[in-house]
Amino acid sequence: MTQAEILQIITGFLGSLFFAVLFNVRGKKLIFAALGGFLSWALFVLFKFITPNEAFRYFLVAVLISVYAEILARVLKTPTTTFIISALIPLIPGGSLYYTMSSLLEGSSESFLEKGIYTLELAAALALGIVLTSAVTKMITAAGMRKKEKKAG
Amino acid sequence: MKDLLDCAMDIGEEMLVSGAEVHRAEDSIRRMCTALGAVRTDIFIIPSSMVASIHTESGECFTQTRRITVSGTNIEKLHRLNDLSRRICNEKLTICDIRAELDDIKKCKNYPLWLEYVAYAVIAGAFTLFFGGDFKEAAVSLLVGILLKFVVMLTDRTMPNKIFAKFICTFLATASAFLAVKIGFIGGVDKVIIGNIMTQIPGIGLTTALRDLFTGDSIAGLLRSIEAVLVALAIAAGYFLCVLTLGGVLS
Repeated sequence: MTQAEILQIITGFLGSLFFAVLFNVRGKKLIFAALGGFLSWALFVLFKFITPNEAFRYFLVAVLISVYAEILARVLKTPTTTFIISALIPLIPGGSLYYTMSSLLEGSSESFLEKGIYTLELAAALALGIVLTSAVTKMITAAGMRKKEKKAG
Repeated sequence: MKDLLDCAMDIGEEMLVSGAEVHRAEDSIRRMCTALGAVRTDIFIIPSSMVASIHTESGECFTQTRRITVSGTNIEKLHRLNDLSRRICNEKLTICDIRAELDDIKKCKNYPLWLEYVAYAVIAGAFTLFFGGDFKEAAVSLLVGILLKFVVMLTDRTMPNKIFAKFICTFLATASAFLAVKIGFIGGVDKVIIGNIMTQIPGIGLTTALRDLFTGDSIAGLLRSIEAVLVALAIAAGYFLCVLTLGGVLS
């Protein structure tokens, strides 16, 4: 891990923590929301040893963080949203979104397209990870409920 | 039964306003109505409107609609509403109890205002460093963050049009970054602007939009996606106008 990456993990954690404050997350939930932000970027950095493809790493992190959120939501009896929106803050592609805007302004259509597509790729990977996990979780909980009903009936 | 529907709608409305997905609000209302004795419940919710009908055992039918105009993210409120709706389903609460609890939840406090200023400042500073800025740029970003929070508060109070408010906010944040470069404190505007647009980007809106879209609430998901795209365009427009008008003068 380079020094820049460690700085990113720390600042990503701070960003998540204070975003959670803005969302009025309180008590124990605040700690776990911020911890999620720390984990999300730490995992992203670590996964560079698995694959250099950033979009794929975004997808993997989104899946793992969503699982983290689903588990915590059940333990702390609170909506999953709490942890998902706070923990994934460091993965919002703010930087590449900015460079997309500025290359449009400079009139260089080649770099605009390249950066725009890259931003979309990251956003899509993130969304896919979140949606996939929540769909699988719903399937599992629905199956669990049917089992329970069978037992009761 | 009429009171019951009213109560359930109140809870659903507050959930939606606090940032719940459409699916959660619909599901909660349905469960509450069933638990309190409705034989059939039909609900349809989109981010700006709610409709619900319940049928009672005696064959009566009640319908209510609600228009939703505000929305935000208030997790603590959402958590308590979720909790209340679960308890209504599991324990036998009276309408009176529910009303009292709901009033209590409506008074649910936010963090103090100074902490929100601190949050804006730290987020802006942290993400300036995150995206490769140096400590000087982070310091400028911190100050711009405080100013941005002030402008956000002003526009929240005076402007009902959220899209235009974002435009103004981004314009001013960009202008102050250029001003800092003009004074000679920092070399470039980009890292400061990136740090500060992080608080403006509709990331949450887009996440909720996608979750709605893929749980089958397509209309709700589409409406939310369009709103998120418009907000993103407003941010880009605010940045463009600032660079085109003041960029030359200030840098």
